[in-house]
Amino acid sequence: MNKSKKNIIRIKNGQKYFFRFSVNQRIQHFILATCVIVLALTGFPLKFHDAFWAHRLYALFGGIKAAPIVHKTAGVVMLLLFVYHCIYTCYHAYVGQIIPLKEKEGLSVGKLVKVVLSHPFIPNLKDVRDIIGLLKYLFFLSDKRPDGTEWTWKEKMDFWGPFWGIPVLGISGLIMWNKELATQLIPGEVINFCLIAHSDEALLAALFLFIWHWYNVHFSTSVFPMGTVFITGYLQEELMVEEHYQYYKEVMKEAGLEHEILPPHGPHAHEHVEGGSVA
Amino acid sequence: MVLKRFCRFFLFGSVLFLLSFFLMPIDSFAADIGNCLLCHKYPGLSRIDENGKFRLLFVNEPIFNNSVHAKVKCEGCHTDIKKIPHDTAKKVDCLTECHIKEPSSEQQFSHQEVAGFLTKSVHTKLDKEQNPKQYVEDMPYCKDCHDNPLYRPLSFFKRVRPGISETALGRCRVCHKKDEFIFRFYNHVTTRLHKIRSPKNIAEMCGRCHDDAQLVARHNLSTKAVFSYGETYHGKAAAFLDERIPDCLDCHVNRGESVHQMLSHTDPLSVTHENNKAGICNSIECHPKASPKLASYKVHPEFDLKQSPSQYYFRVFFITLTGGTLLPLMGIIFFDLIRRLFPNVTIRRRK
Repeated sequence: MNKSKKNIIRIKNGQKYFFRFSVNQRIQHFILATCVIVLALTGFPLKFHDAFWAHRLYALFGGIKAAPIVHKTAGVVMLLLFVYHCIYTCYHAYVGQIIPLKEKEGLSVGKLVKVVLSHPFIPNLKDVRDIIGLLKYLFFLSDKRPDGTEWTWKEKMDFWGPFWGIPVLGISGLIMWNKELATQLIPGEVINFCLIAHSDEALLAALFLFIWHWYNVHFSTSVFPMGTVFITGYLQEELMVEEHYQYYKEVMKEAGLEHEILPPHGPHAHEHVEGGSVA
Repeated sequence: MVLKRFCRFFLFGSVLFLLSFFLMPIDSFAADIGNCLLCHKYPGLSRIDENGKFRLLFVNEPIFNNSVHAKVKCEGCHTDIKKIPHDTAKKVDCLTECHIKEPSSEQQFSHQEVAGFLTKSVHTKLDKEQNPKQYVEDMPYCKDCHDNPLYRPLSFFKRVRPGISETALGRCRVCHKKDEFIFRFYNHVTTRLHKIRSPKNIAEMCGRCHDDAQLVARHNLSTKAVFSYGETYHGKAAAFLDERIPDCLDCHVNRGESVHQMLSHTDPLSVTHENNKAGICNSIECHPKASPKLASYKVHPEFDLKQSPSQYYFRVFFITLTGGTLLPLMGIIFFDLIRRLFPNVTIRRRK
């Protein structure tokens, strides 16, 4: 994301690895993942307090006296991380795109909107085409997976999910935590809405992450038993080919490795390779 | 020779008699003057009554001795039993005057006054015209809510913890000589300085009636009270045995009054009346800094269309969002797994 395309490829033991996440981003992901897991483990026993596992799980975190403190601490850390990430993203957009644009062409509202819309994490028509392409592939109507760009629609969902979830969970959680202060301004009935939002959104977020996200990055047969990109920051070539083929070809070409481009994922790949040889 | 034998027998008997005092368990001060435990000490003592119901007649002496009624003689409650073996005993009337004297008034003790409180409460069997209420059989009486509770003593030395403080007992012994007296009064006082039952137990007790869907419908009550209590943090924390969390009695009983004097929420004198609710939420023990606005928090939410349409639709939104997001994604995972099993199968090839 922050490297020039020439420096994206790292070769180790004859295998190519492609840069995906900086150390800073990996630390952010580690904090976020830890917070989400701790929040789920200390929150769901309350939501499902009648379940057979709830009391044992809650006891691991100190029961009703300690677990709420652990939950609130993890929540605060996650909220601070969210604020930091917003500043981090804005700063990189400012330094990487807005300042160069300002120096080159000058700034206007239209250009600023254009910069925002061209951000690699903003959903676009290519994502819609890729979703349709994936469905065709899954329903045996096509023999080829969509050629993914640097950031696919799956990763964009993973990214924007927390942007909806963290504010909903954070604001509702803060209101319920500080109900005495909050009810100086808002009626008590809002706390009922906060409880619904906090509880149901947490369930949605947890199911989304533990089913969808974990399937894509850990449990899919391509990566099982565990993807390592969140630790190393680099993705193996086969996974780049499977999920980011369009971006993979761009990177390989820029690195002068056209002749080493692998065919796309799929049984009939050799028929569709553009400008690359088949090993 | 005879005198010698007599002396030996007397000495042996005296030692046995004294030993029986020393070997007696410290808590065996139950008032079993009628020797009822002669039979009722056997764990298997039971029978099937005339209604076909199994009755366990065993009295666990150590447990009974740790209960609030430990000093009451068996005959104090079972007044109809005059001889052993006895006939079928009548049901105990809790309003019976027992042999205990209330120490401040020196009057024979009874729960009669509690019955008086109950007649002024929402649980009275009589309506305003003093006629029996409709569905009068649903109204609770003593044994619907109470069993024979055990003491729950507290220690206040250095920190509050459950149990008896040996240090405190040492201070009691400065003036009071009988350990039996000290134990009983220590238990009596410290048990009453807090709740004898946990919020979870109290909610379960109230729930026996207030979560009965038919009873709720018969009396046109607005909610299954304990179910909806469990939908809030109060009820969830109570389920995890939090003793600090408010239970039914904390919110439904006017401060300083008997728990038996619970009033309907429509009664202007009731603490749960719309105009008084704020006072209970921001009381010193709950949310003292809260604004009166906190009282509009629904402590019995059921999220149904009848009770609160806005909350119902808010929940429907989240359920739809969850289903709408996850079901398609889980479908993709399912078909992805299948596709990986048949990578070479294609209906139509891309040209």
